[in-house]
Amino acid sequence: MRLIIRDDPKAVGDYIAQYICKRINEFSPTADKPFVLGLPTGSSPIPTYKTLIKLVNDGKLSFKHVVTFNMDEYVGLPMDHPESYHTFMFREFFSHVDIPPNQVNILDGTVEDLYAECKSYEERIKSYGGIELFLAGIGADGHVAFNEPGSSLASRTRVKTLAYDTILANARFFNNDIEAVPKMALTVGVATVLDSKEVVVVVTGLQKSLALSKAIEGGVNHLWTLSALQMHPWALIVVDEDATSELHVKTVKYFKSIERVQDEVEKKHAGLRTKGLPAADHHQVGSME
Amino acid sequence: MSSPNGLICFTNCLLPLEDGGLVEKDLWIDQRRGVILDAQDTFFLRNERPAQTIDLGGNILSPGFLDIQINGAYGFDFSIYEGDDLVYRDGLRHVAEKIVESGVTSYVLPTIVTQEKSLYPKLLSLLRPYSPPSSANILGWHAEGPYLQFAKRGAHAPPFLLTAPEGYKSVEKLYGAENLADAEDWLMNQGVLNEVGVRIITAAPEVEGVMESVSELTKRGIVFSIGHSIATIDLATTAVQNGANLITHLFNAMPQLHHRDPSIIGLLGQVADLSFERPFYEMIVDGIHSHPNSVRLAYSSHPEGCILITDAMKILDPNLHDGVHEWRDGKRFVKEGDKLYLEGTNTLAGSVVTLDKCVRNFSRFTGCSLGEAIKCATYNPAKCLGIENRKGTLRSGADADFVVLDRKGNVLNTWVKGKQVWSKGL
Repeated sequence: MRLIIRDDPKAVGDYIAQYICKRINEFSPTADKPFVLGLPTGSSPIPTYKTLIKLVNDGKLSFKHVVTFNMDEYVGLPMDHPESYHTFMFREFFSHVDIPPNQVNILDGTVEDLYAECKSYEERIKSYGGIELFLAGIGADGHVAFNEPGSSLASRTRVKTLAYDTILANARFFNNDIEAVPKMALTVGVATVLDSKEVVVVVTGLQKSLALSKAIEGGVNHLWTLSALQMHPWALIVVDEDATSELHVKTVKYFKSIERVQDEVEKKHAGLRTKGLPAADHHQVGSME
Repeated sequence: MSSPNGLICFTNCLLPLEDGGLVEKDLWIDQRRGVILDAQDTFFLRNERPAQTIDLGGNILSPGFLDIQINGAYGFDFSIYEGDDLVYRDGLRHVAEKIVESGVTSYVLPTIVTQEKSLYPKLLSLLRPYSPPSSANILGWHAEGPYLQFAKRGAHAPPFLLTAPEGYKSVEKLYGAENLADAEDWLMNQGVLNEVGVRIITAAPEVEGVMESVSELTKRGIVFSIGHSIATIDLATTAVQNGANLITHLFNAMPQLHHRDPSIIGLLGQVADLSFERPFYEMIVDGIHSHPNSVRLAYSSHPEGCILITDAMKILDPNLHDGVHEWRDGKRFVKEGDKLYLEGTNTLAGSVVTLDKCVRNFSRFTGCSLGEAIKCATYNPAKCLGIENRKGTLRSGADADFVVLDRKGNVLNTWVKGKQVWSKGL
């Protein structure tokens, strides 16, 4: 696992967007071989989306051959409801970039047969050969997607009841009316996230600092579902200074030191590639820590 | 300019909201159908996105302006029919093609002035509102008269004035039943029918028979507008309770505001409740027909009802020089800037101001935002006519009629049914 620390949420967003841009461009996606990207909702990824949009507008990145899968969606909320994740994704991201609509996948919480929807979602992901890079955020309780504390770390896409904390936290988006907050959601499972080739997590703000500490300094534990990331071979967590507040100084120093090493290795490999040496064919398969 | 898949995304622009606000947001339209799209539904349900994006450079993308009272422009007088259909149609086309330069994409025609009242039904059905493609839409007729108060007739000639002794029956006889559209047809078709007839009738409630016709006219979806009248506040209130929904050119051709009997103007001060909804009111904001302070006074008391109109005469043409110009019946106008008099009198004879200038004036006179001024030339008139789902709005499904304004309210280009029909400097 790698942990990158930046000054503030904007710098975090810039870093992740540049990183995703680099990954997509190095992948050189085509219509037959699209880049498959997993995407989250919430306030943490917004700076990332903003920078990605800018990169598209500047002609440095294109989503023409990118297929996306979103993490989750409320059950029973109409797609065009102002708080639906369809609305969020359209407003914050899809309306501003050049992605063809039929390459966008979001769980549909309005269907009659929710089980079938979840099953078909997993199958759709498989049909593309799995997710290349899953971008994720976390909740203050360490949940990733709607995998609330206590979710199985082997879970797949399924119907999930929301934790009371989450319902309370979401009430502010529904006129503070707890009754109006959806109580269920469809969400990819922890294992669905872990199945992707690479996972990038954005964690910003003081209120996420305990979750970050539990996820990377504690053991693998279903009460902090992000901790499952410790079992993933290629994980990158990008955080701001505030989010490191609960970490040990030693932890912070360690990750800062390996960031430099990573830069040096990448520079070296880029050099090899420009020389056309055999190493150029060996694509990265995990983080170098 | 057309998009490969017929869809256009306007970006980097400010959209006027129906509450008078301005918001930075994209707008998607379907050029082939000429309508505004629900962008999110288009993306997720139709699986389409615009193949063309137009960057508006931070300018304002407003619904096209509606002028519900205009008498003529560019040398053509809507109210004069000289027996030749082709000449009249050419005149209509000429104005419709030119007027988009002032941001107006829809307007209501005045009726034809004739001394021979038996001609009304024939003329109205003969000269159905005609909207040539790629130019402004005609929404129907505004019949200003002939049931007007003699003392407040303005430029209307005395021999043309009538009473309605049989109430609605008289009105029907005058205009022809087929020209008084049924409310259902009008509302269902949201004013895009070619066969629409009289949309607004301006009359004085105190004229014999007029008060009795108000409720029947209103029921048919025709806007009854109080104007050219000396009605007392009580009479005016009764007219509103019967369904009157508009005041024709507020302050003009009506008694001045008197504190004991505030007359028609006093309607703006009424406490609105379930049994009384204050009417819309038209204002000519050329700085002449109403003093800027009067404009502000009216707007402060009832902002939701304000409708900007030009009440323009045929010599309306932003490029026309000052001086004496021919009108009709041997009479002549004198134009001095935005002022227009009957020659030899000091009677104001309509105006020569463009609607985009009214919008800019209005913002200046009242101190309201440009977004709030735009509302008075778009959403408010559309709502008054009951067509706010199709015109004067950026709701999805509405006609893609736009005026692009700079941040000072100057017209940059104009669109009708999703196609650009005018652009500054072209």
